Amino acid sequence: MNKTSSIVIIGGGISGAAVAYELAKRGQKDIILIEREYLSGGATGRCGAGVRMQWGTKMNCLLAKYAIEKFETLNEELDYEYDVEFKQGGYLMCASTQKEYDQFVKNVALQNSLGINSRIITPAEAKEIVPYINTDYMIGGTFHQKDGHLNPFHTTLAYARAAERLGVEIMKYTAVTGIDVQNGKIKGVMTDKGYIATETVLNAAGGYSQQIAEMVGVTLPLYSQRHQIMVTEPVIPIQGPMFMGFVHNIYIQQTPHGSFIMGRGDAYEPKDLRVTSGWQFMEDMARNCAKLLPALRDLNIVRQWAGLYNMSPDKQPIYGVVEGVEGMYVAAGYSGHGFMFGPVTGVVMAEMMLGLPTTVDVSALGPDRFASGKLFVEPSVV
Amino acid sequence: MLKNSGVAERDLVEKVYPSEERRKKGAFAAIECFQRIPCDPCVASCKRGAISPPADINDIPTADFDKCNGCGLCISVCPGLAIFVIDENYSVDEALIKLPYEFLPLPIVGDIVFGTDRGGSPVCKAKVVQVVNTKSSNRTPVVSLAVPKELSMDVRGFCFDDGKEKCECDCANTQPHLHTPHSTLHTQYICRCEGITLDKIREYVAHGYTTLNEIKIISRAGMGACQGRTCRQLILNELAKTTGQPIDKMPVSTFRPPVQPIKMGLLLSEEEQK
Repeated sequence: MNKTSSIVIIGGGISGAAVAYELAKRGQKDIILIEREYLSGGATGRCGAGVRMQWGTKMNCLLAKYAIEKFETLNEELDYEYDVEFKQGGYLMCASTQKEYDQFVKNVALQNSLGINSRIITPAEAKEIVPYINTDYMIGGTFHQKDGHLNPFHTTLAYARAAERLGVEIMKYTAVTGIDVQNGKIKGVMTDKGYIATETVLNAAGGYSQQIAEMVGVTLPLYSQRHQIMVTEPVIPIQGPMFMGFVHNIYIQQTPHGSFIMGRGDAYEPKDLRVTSGWQFMEDMARNCAKLLPALRDLNIVRQWAGLYNMSPDKQPIYGVVEGVEGMYVAAGYSGHGFMFGPVTGVVMAEMMLGLPTTVDVSALGPDRFASGKLFVEPSVV
Repeated sequence: MLKNSGVAERDLVEKVYPSEERRKKGAFAAIECFQRIPCDPCVASCKRGAISPPADINDIPTADFDKCNGCGLCISVCPGLAIFVIDENYSVDEALIKLPYEFLPLPIVGDIVFGTDRGGSPVCKAKVVQVVNTKSSNRTPVVSLAVPKELSMDVRGFCFDDGKEKCECDCANTQPHLHTPHSTLHTQYICRCEGITLDKIREYVAHGYTTLNEIKIISRAGMGACQGRTCRQLILNELAKTTGQPIDKMPVSTFRPPVQPIKMGLLLSEEEQK
């Protein structure tokens, strides 16, 4: 079945769905969104779904602030029939070394200068916020009440349904098999359900974005890496904020449903596309969780899973035009925070693709920055 | 087919049944167990030695119908609720089916209910003639149903409502003759861990979420303590019914560790546990 479309978005995660909605909201017609499986079936639906403004670069702070302010009114804006389950219980960042603490002090000064009301806290203050923290491993920390957590499935579906109401066509369970480029211009997208003639394509394929880029002969400096998560049985609400530490390399959050979601990175993971479960993760996670939040050791783990971080050299996203292929755009390389940037990705990419000035200046995040060496590394990622 | 639908096909079932001649002689145990798992309580439950000890704990149990007298002691002990007792001599035109039933409310003797087949579809009216729920039932009550004799091979469950007739009260249920209180019959749970009802699943299907993974992410069905062991096949059956797709072609969700919930503290070393 062959089709014609003005814009094809590849990837039905939060980014693709948000861009589709923001384009349609600005009057763009004939948009097709292609998703290989079900909406949020990739990294979006596998992520820890925490959202925070407490970042270490001005760019990430501004992007996150804009995104989180949008999350606050997302149910209403998208007129969603269910609930995106936004819990603004804050983020409690735990510093375990002097170096980490010094970085946090710098981060808070930066955040405060940008209107983000984060603050330095002592271990005693941390215990007031989460009474069962073991502060033996904490020399200080930071806290910001407006950070939080959402249900990544519902958030994506909320965007997708709003986009559909505005005329976007969503092709689920459809795989892109190639991109037709002639004389340096996009002509169409090949899928296992037929050919779509189009002159504009957005690569929002998350963990698979480098594969999509290869289809137009472009190599993006991105790689994907498995990150694992596990979840416990639900219990009564006892933890407000996401608890996060970079030295211990963990994040632990109680969802509104009552279950605790916890994950950690592993620098030794191979750089590939596997999303299987490893046996070592559960033990490492349990060990670190029991050390920092001992009360949780009595909870039952019900499931472990994995998703892909799409890593860029400076751990910041790539937003922009792909040089040398007219009509090709990319929004990828989030390095583990694509979900929380979803709303701002939607806005800036839609504006960029329609030739409008962008609400947040993301010109420094173009794919050309790697060739020119203008990187600015984000220091605070798990 | 059995793997995706959870429903045993007729030819599979016929293999574990006694001969026509034995069936005429009286009650017998129908062991409809088709999955090799390490499980053997039925063996010890039989006082007559009709179920032989397996050579391998994973072997599927079979009944020696010369020894089996259809006493039904094995019904409650089967964790898989896979054993039934069938008596085709119950009356001139009825057979008696004794089946395990782990739902509330329990029916009351005299209730007329709907006998359902292995897939849960109503196939006939059935009369409740006995409800056994003693201490030795170990919370697996056994309900005896009188059903039309020709359906003795088919009826393996029952429901209170076949969804076709209107109840006399305004409850939207259908009970031609029922002593069990109406108010307890309205909700059919598909996912017991997360409390997701059939009505809710149907609402999501109507919204266009028609695969198991989509139902899972929007409803949480399958994300609970049992990780879909109960609801996965129920949802697949409902989706097959509503979308017309063959059930063995439908994608299932990923199986992930742990196999059963495990306390986080148990993963720590002895020293760390202190």
